[in-house]
Amino acid sequence: MTAVTTNTPADTTATPVITTREVCRYFGDDEETMVKAVDRISIDIEPGEFTAIIGPSGSGKTTLLHMIGGLDNPTSGVVELSGTNIAQMSGAELSDFRRDHIGFIFQSYNLIPVLSAEENIEYIMLLQGVSAAERKQRVNQMLEQVGLAGLGGRRPNKLSGGQQQRVAIARAMASHPDIILADEPTANLDSKTGIALLDVMRELNEEHNMTFVFSTHDEKIMARASRLIHIQDGQVEKDETK
Amino acid sequence: MPLTMKLAFRNLFRNTRRSVLTIMLIGFSLAALILTDAVMRGMLTLMVENVTGTISGEAQVHRVGYREDFDVDLFIENSAEVAKALEQDRAVDHYTSRVISGGMISSSYNVTGGMFYGVDADREQHISKVKLALIHGQYLTGKRGELLLGQSMAELLEVELGDRIVITLSEVLTGEMTQALFRVSGILEFGMRELDENVVFLNIDEARKVLGLTQDQSHEFAIKFVDPALAKNPDTAIFKKLNDAKLETMGWLDLNTQIALMIEMSGFASLIVGMVLFLLASLGVINSMFMSIYERIYEFGVIKAIGTRPASLSRLILCEALLLAIISCIFGMLLGYGIGSWTAVNGIPMGEIEFEGIAISNNILTEFNRVQFIQFPFYVTLLTIAAAIYPARFAARIIPTEALQRSL
Repeated sequence: MTAVTTNTPADTTATPVITTREVCRYFGDDEETMVKAVDRISIDIEPGEFTAIIGPSGSGKTTLLHMIGGLDNPTSGVVELSGTNIAQMSGAELSDFRRDHIGFIFQSYNLIPVLSAEENIEYIMLLQGVSAAERKQRVNQMLEQVGLAGLGGRRPNKLSGGQQQRVAIARAMASHPDIILADEPTANLDSKTGIALLDVMRELNEEHNMTFVFSTHDEKIMARASRLIHIQDGQVEKDETK
Repeated sequence: MPLTMKLAFRNLFRNTRRSVLTIMLIGFSLAALILTDAVMRGMLTLMVENVTGTISGEAQVHRVGYREDFDVDLFIENSAEVAKALEQDRAVDHYTSRVISGGMISSSYNVTGGMFYGVDADREQHISKVKLALIHGQYLTGKRGELLLGQSMAELLEVELGDRIVITLSEVLTGEMTQALFRVSGILEFGMRELDENVVFLNIDEARKVLGLTQDQSHEFAIKFVDPALAKNPDTAIFKKLNDAKLETMGWLDLNTQIALMIEMSGFASLIVGMVLFLLASLGVINSMFMSIYERIYEFGVIKAIGTRPASLSRLILCEALLLAIISCIFGMLLGYGIGSWTAVNGIPMGEIEFEGIAISNNILTEFNRVQFIQFPFYVTLLTIAAAIYPARFAARIIPTEALQRSL
């Protein structure tokens, strides 16, 4: 295990897929009441890493993930994904960038309730303009990989929480993104299901060499990550690679 | 089916109760607009029938200036020529000539003023309702001394069938007072106060004699066309043929300017009714759309987060509004057609109303028109989509991080 101390990027020769430099996200204008959700964080994440951002509630994990995912703009600093500074993109450009390069997995599954599991997975590919034949092929492949073969026709309300989150993983991966960001993906699942889900994510990470960054405060989940970035009060407290 | 339409269709029925209520709101508004227009059209038809069918005919020929004061001196001097022209015109279905004068009418018990119409009994029955209005006695046969008068006038004069009546007129050319004796041969009821109280009908030959007019002199020709629409067209051949320095021929719209104004106003009234109805419906659509958006705000956050463009989200909301409008229009048209079909046969009882001296006593039969089923639904669809623009813009502007904060 290597421990890298605070607020310095990992020393590596590979081109990072995610780079943050002195990223800050402050809420409020008044100096006294200003909340520094993220305060001067600089990290590099290499392709294929399986990274967990860990820390207590309110430490800034979600805000950091949002900024990495282009859902929120930093107050200052730079966020680069695959070498592109996303802070300079327009709304539509960011939408397209997220669609093509980032897969999201949310805490509450967040599938579109009126679409079946298959259609939920297909949705993002439709946005990308993937052909019908390839969509079908990818949907079936993803459903099989997440262990839901045969359940594609079911709507979210006919699936368990664990199954819904597997569909969410399949949806995130179906678009072949560079990075998958997952914000506490196992928080609403029981421990056994959560670990099983992490194993699925890990398998996919190893199989496709896809970069996974997820936030969690569950120690069993942390144990499966290859790198742990500890955040406390908006700053990187510890960055350790196993 | 494109994904947006599929999503829109399924979203529409996520909250069935709300969607059904909104569909009913828009549908009822459309049905109300269709029925309002159908009633207006039915009422106008009834009014036009009353206007043209009671006395006036669809068009009239007069001496220029006659209509300004109904001056008996301004008579048509060449009635035979006018009659010949009307006879030869194939567009003219029927016509009749009349002499008209004001005068006094006396019975043994009372006296009153009135208008005297000398009419050609045979021709008149094809133009006006004089024969149909007969409730007692018999219609004019051409015999000497026959006179028809309204029920109200008969009551005022306290006369019955066969009673003697003396009319006092002034001769057209000399202005001398002249009197003639008639007997009540028939009593009429038009349902129009002005006619029932003030008008008497005589045989035209006797009327001419009393007024000192020759057989070739008349005050008015009333015309009925094969196609009633010709009466509204100033370019109709007979109008052009007869109109000269001495004669003027006018359709019923020019003869009844108040009715023309009312027809014009009815379109305006429909517009106002439509605007009020659709303002209310639009508010309903906006409310329904916003409720639907607020319920799904977190979902929209997710959809935007995974890469849906704001414009695509707007398109989704507008598609939902389009589907809502289409379903509502189908419902509204079926409802409007259902009710309108029944009232088109059975009529809407209006009691007895009178407008500008025109009595409407029959049931109003609603009338359908393609405008009601093409233009109105089109406007409804357009307005529904317009009403959804604001909610759609709102949805497009949802900030994913704010929307996602609900559970993250």
